[in-house]
Amino acid sequence: MEKKGKKKQPSEGNDTVSSPSPSPWQAFLVHLICGLGLASALWIAHKVYTNLISDPSQILCLIWIIEAPIVILLFSIFRKNPKECSYWKAVGRGLLGLPAGAVVNALGAIALGAPVGVKYFSKTLNWSLLMSLFTVVPAASVFGSSWTNWQQIFAHTKPIGSIDYMICLPAHGAVIGAWFGAWPMPLDWERPWQEWPICVSYGAIAGYLVGMVASFCFVPLRSEQRHVKAE
Amino acid sequence: MSSSLTCTKLTVWTVIGILIQIIGLSLFVLGFFPVKPALSGVSGLESFRPPGFDSVEDHNVSNLRPDQLKSLYQELYEIPPSFDRLILMVIDGLPAEFVLGRDGQPPSKVFMEAMPYTQSLLASGMAVGYHAKAAPPTVTMPRLKTMVSGAIGGFLDVAFNFNTQAFLDDNLIGQFFNIGWKMVMLGDETWLKLFPGLFTRHDGVSSFYVKDTVEVDHNVSRHLGDELNRTDWNLLILHYLGLDHVGHIGGRSSILMGAKLKEMDEVVKMIHSSAKRSQDNNQGRTLLVVVSDHGMTDNGNHGGSSYEETDSLVLFVGLKHKAYDCPLVIHSTADQADIAPTLALLFGVPIPKNNVGILMSETLDFLTDDQRLRTLELNSWQLLRLLQAQLPGLSCGSFSSDVIRDDQWPAITKCDGSDEGMSNSRDDYSNTVSAYDDFLRAAREWLSHRATYKPAGLLASGVAAMVLSCLVFIGLLLWLDQEVYLRQMHRLSDLKNNMHKWHLEETYVLAIIFILVLSMGSSSMVEEEQYIWHFLTSTFYLVLLRKAIQSPIAGVAQSLITLVKGQNRRRSSQIFFIILILLSGRIMRGWHQGGVNWAHLPDISKWLEQAGRDYVKCIQLVSWLLVISLGLYSLSLFRTKKYFVMVIAFLFLVPAMLVLRHILKYQDSAFAASSHGATSMAQIIYSSRDPHMWCCFCLTVAYTVQNPKIFSTHDVCWSNNFLADVRRKFLLVGFRDCAYVIGWAYMLCWCLLQLLLQQPINSMPILLLLVQILASICYCSNSGLHLKQWVEVAALFYLGLAGHFALGNTNTLASIDVAGAFIGISSHSTLLSGILMFIITYASPLLAFLSMVMYMSMKETSYLVNPQNADIGHFLKMSVGFPCLVPLGLNSVLLFAYTIVLLLMRNHLFVWSVFSPKYLYVCATTVCVYIGVSVVYSTAIYTSLVFALRSRTLQCFIRDESRVSMVDNMYSMNPSYYELGSCSSNSVKFHLEGGGGGGGGGVVSSNSTNMANSMSMVRWSSLRSTAEEEEKGVGGGGSKKKSHNRQGFIASRSSPKAEELKKTTTELTQADSTSTTSDNGSGQSGGSAKEHHNMLPSEADELELCYCEEEGDSAAGTIKATMSCEDRPELVSDMTRAVRSVEGKVVRAEMATVGGRTKSVLWVQVSGDSGGSDGDSSGGERLGMLGRALKVVVDRASLSMSGPGQDLPGNKRPRLYHY
Repeated sequence: MEKKGKKKQPSEGNDTVSSPSPSPWQAFLVHLICGLGLASALWIAHKVYTNLISDPSQILCLIWIIEAPIVILLFSIFRKNPKECSYWKAVGRGLLGLPAGAVVNALGAIALGAPVGVKYFSKTLNWSLLMSLFTVVPAASVFGSSWTNWQQIFAHTKPIGSIDYMICLPAHGAVIGAWFGAWPMPLDWERPWQEWPICVSYGAIAGYLVGMVASFCFVPLRSEQRHVKAE
Repeated sequence: MSSSLTCTKLTVWTVIGILIQIIGLSLFVLGFFPVKPALSGVSGLESFRPPGFDSVEDHNVSNLRPDQLKSLYQELYEIPPSFDRLILMVIDGLPAEFVLGRDGQPPSKVFMEAMPYTQSLLASGMAVGYHAKAAPPTVTMPRLKTMVSGAIGGFLDVAFNFNTQAFLDDNLIGQFFNIGWKMVMLGDETWLKLFPGLFTRHDGVSSFYVKDTVEVDHNVSRHLGDELNRTDWNLLILHYLGLDHVGHIGGRSSILMGAKLKEMDEVVKMIHSSAKRSQDNNQGRTLLVVVSDHGMTDNGNHGGSSYEETDSLVLFVGLKHKAYDCPLVIHSTADQADIAPTLALLFGVPIPKNNVGILMSETLDFLTDDQRLRTLELNSWQLLRLLQAQLPGLSCGSFSSDVIRDDQWPAITKCDGSDEGMSNSRDDYSNTVSAYDDFLRAAREWLSHRATYKPAGLLASGVAAMVLSCLVFIGLLLWLDQEVYLRQMHRLSDLKNNMHKWHLEETYVLAIIFILVLSMGSSSMVEEEQYIWHFLTSTFYLVLLRKAIQSPIAGVAQSLITLVKGQNRRRSSQIFFIILILLSGRIMRGWHQGGVNWAHLPDISKWLEQAGRDYVKCIQLVSWLLVISLGLYSLSLFRTKKYFVMVIAFLFLVPAMLVLRHILKYQDSAFAASSHGATSMAQIIYSSRDPHMWCCFCLTVAYTVQNPKIFSTHDVCWSNNFLADVRRKFLLVGFRDCAYVIGWAYMLCWCLLQLLLQQPINSMPILLLLVQILASICYCSNSGLHLKQWVEVAALFYLGLAGHFALGNTNTLASIDVAGAFIGISSHSTLLSGILMFIITYASPLLAFLSMVMYMSMKETSYLVNPQNADIGHFLKMSVGFPCLVPLGLNSVLLFAYTIVLLLMRNHLFVWSVFSPKYLYVCATTVCVYIGVSVVYSTAIYTSLVFALRSRTLQCFIRDESRVSMVDNMYSMNPSYYELGSCSSNSVKFHLEGGGGGGGGGVVSSNSTNMANSMSMVRWSSLRSTAEEEEKGVGGGGSKKKSHNRQGFIASRSSPKAEELKKTTTELTQADSTSTTSDNGSGQSGGSAKEHHNMLPSEADELELCYCEEEGDSAAGTIKATMSCEDRPELVSDMTRAVRSVEGKVVRAEMATVGGRTKSVLWVQVSGDSGGSDGDSSGGERLGMLGRALKVVVDRASLSMSGPGQDLPGNKRPRLYHY
């Protein structure tokens, strides 16, 4: 609690100057739409391919294609410094962040042991694009190239404003979920979903959802505190 | 702060912990893997004689032909064989309950109806059925062994002949083979593995596809009709796996079970009718024995020791040709081991030597009384021999009236009187039989108990000892950590929050252990442990990467562009090292596709081997070259003296060349190991390597011991006060240099040895491992206080363990490289090749341990050493404590946890195939940890002892010198000087590099290329880094620092910058210790916060400002400025002017001049600051202003110094670039 108190001051400073910090209601709506987008993507994938395990790379592709516009368009609304940075510029940043984040995610996954090879290329690509959508893209839309903010969110994990929470918690949830999702892979259960991107993707999605729920809970909490402090 | 934990105490406790652990481990191993004294060899003619007459005419048995042997056996046996042929039908996993019922009840109706023929045989008495109790583990292979040998095997005899699965003990199949039987085997290929080459015909099926319940049995039955029509065999083994598969799929009540039983019943019917037919045609009598190897639980699993699993079936069909009038329906119980002696006695072959079973008396009902007594006698003799082997004190020279008093069953006193039994009286006969029976049962009980008994007391005490040792290690670690922490607190009094915080990577290091322990409970995780290690270590380094990214503090240092640059450079070097580690780790993981389940997947080594021998050789040469160049490069970093480095490099290159020659010449021929030339070559390499190591060792020590003599002769004028300081510096610098070279020699020689011993394909992983470890050490040496020492040691340890699997090792015993263990050994020596095998298998963990020596030299620990009492024990404790204790502690936790896992899993299906081999590996890792720790410890002890000795002589030497030299009275005259007390750590110091780019504008020297909030940079560029540190201090302190009361300051701030500021202050205080270290390390830049007692001007120009805080002193609230520079006439006036320019007043001053250098200490009271609490910003600014003003003074001194004519090189101490 003490820590949070410390962190608050600059954020207030920032807020007054720049970004419209999303109200809890807005945050809830954003998360709800993201979650619904994800769910509908999964549903469509289920309709199209009937089996969510058989062809992971195409399903992942479908999911990120459906989810990408939702995330980019939604988070671009909450960009920092809205005066200097137009909405479409933020969208452009988000689009740029998608492949860049995919590279980072793919490298991380390969470092942790994801298989390398031609036949895994499309799986890894689609998976990392999806992960990029969960982790990097919202931050790219909101922060742009502000290194301090990135560092604060991803290196220090110290979200301050409610938009920080909305970016930070789901992103960390996705990464941690993917990490845990990798655990069943070496087991000898001989299930088809133990293949490379499948259980990791499901772990990431689950972690992302958990992160969003946590973010739901944190954002109102934060704004309440803010009110108390303001009074 | 008294040191509560002395070095001796620590050592003693550690040794106690290790001893307790060894005792506990050996108790547990003895308890869990009982080594039963087994008799070697094969039973022969002597088994037909009483135990006393063993050694008669045995030697000519081996010369006999099988048929001669057979007739000889028959002659001695005195009973004509009742049967000519044996059909052993094994139904895998059939519980006896299905056929015989349970507790006197008939089996359930489904099963009765499923096996009508068998039931009719039983009902008519033509078949005799037994509940045979199987000993755990109820898994097929050990059960088959028990059936044919009568012995109950332990795990260790599996482990001891791990390279072959063949069953080498005395057994029935072997006995049958010896008397010339022709044998046919149909079914589970386990038999073929156990008895390779003994079967005339065979058709093995694999039990791999558990889902298949039809084909496995069809593959057996399809030959059956054909085989039954043949007459050329004596033993037919049928092993049906289908029923076990049915159980695994659907459990006991599977719908497939009835059909399967029906199928088995058909087979029994077919065989029995065929046997009857052939007997009617006088084609020989055939005995059908239907057995099952184990039962199954309700779910169809097996392996444990529940009644359902151990309840196996033995069914003798065809003992009597005709049906009984009054059939016996009582099914007695027996032991699975009883099958072997019964069959042996039925067919007139010697009972296998290690048999613990007794004959099943009902099967021999058709014999006459005399014959029955004879069988009993033979069985008793055999058991007696075994008993004699296990109880050497057993007195049974005469067999006529043999009384066995068994200590463990004192109630049983048996009369083994066979001769009396021969008397005519029927009464006597039955007495004798019952006496025999009692004896046999008691013996069996005792022997089988002995074989499977796991003494709970032994196990419990073993586990307790392991817990105790674990607690000892953890306690010592906590103790040491506490002390280090306290010491840091002492130095960095205000960093409580920062140091106390539990960082992510520390949590994660502990989480690794936790996850490992959890994953060990799963057999497939144990099989695929290499994935876990790679995953966890990579994640650890990713966590460190995250930390490296978060380290720079952007907000504070923004004003200083150069500083940011330096920071970036340090950060990018850290990131580079981590990426290097991750990259090589990833390649290593791809190198070998280890494990069990995915071993067939492609990997780099398979790909290379397919690509051809040339590629492998290419890889080997490349890695050799890279290892050598890496070694030479890292040695060249040690640039104390060129000729010394060259000597060591040359000594290193000699064995390197030899290894290269070995690679080029011998390793491409397939029979390299056997060729004489290769052997002698390898021997030469061994012999050249070791002297090289020792040469390095001695040279290093000799050289570095010489070194201080050189520099001490240059320093003529040191006072006695300075002596302790010199000693300390000497100890630190010397120890470091020495440890660096020794650690280097260890690592590189180890890598060379591995290049020689490992398979050619493994040379690249060795290189990558070396890269990883070197990068990790470099990273750690860069990290300063950001990482705790124990985390770094644990990281190295984990790297070593992860590398163990990257070299292709798995948790099965099969992956041990046996071929490599014979390189360079001309005659077979179990000990030598065992050592080589250990070296090959544990290449990677041992390399990690050897790297700890180098790590100790690279890691900055001197801040932990109290400058006042630089005794050697304390120093050792601080430098060696963590590198030794952390691996011991971690390993003890793993060992203990795995012991518990093994205990819990003792009834698991895979206890012998997965968990027990893993336990052996864990034990070997423990041994490896002991070896590694002792090497590290003894190296450190040896080196520091040499230095302690030398520094004592040095002391005398300096004392002599000082008598002659000019002693500045200043040091001796003013004892009150010492009582001035210590400054707070809130100090800003300016070290100006003598020749470096002098005063650059308002801020300090601009020669800042490196960011150095880490103290360990000192080793590489001490002066430079210090300068930057100060710069940072100005940047951060000048603008942000508010008060000397930093605690209050931090608490009062709530901006996010507080965090950063705190970091700055951390760094500042680190800088404090950095400068101390730089003193220690180089002996050239004196004067630091810790060395006020020393009024000796330092060689480097420097300026240090701090607040004085002691209460009740007149100096309270003043700024203490300490500066060292060249002396010049106008220095005092310049200083006065500088002080005035910031409206300060000199309260007190001390100056000392030695040989053209001067040191001044000014206590300046700055107006308005006397209150000390009137605002943080003004105080900080004032400090910065004063610093800047004084810096100009110092600068001018150094500038004038560089002018012509004023140079006094003779007085200047030569710089010792030790790196």
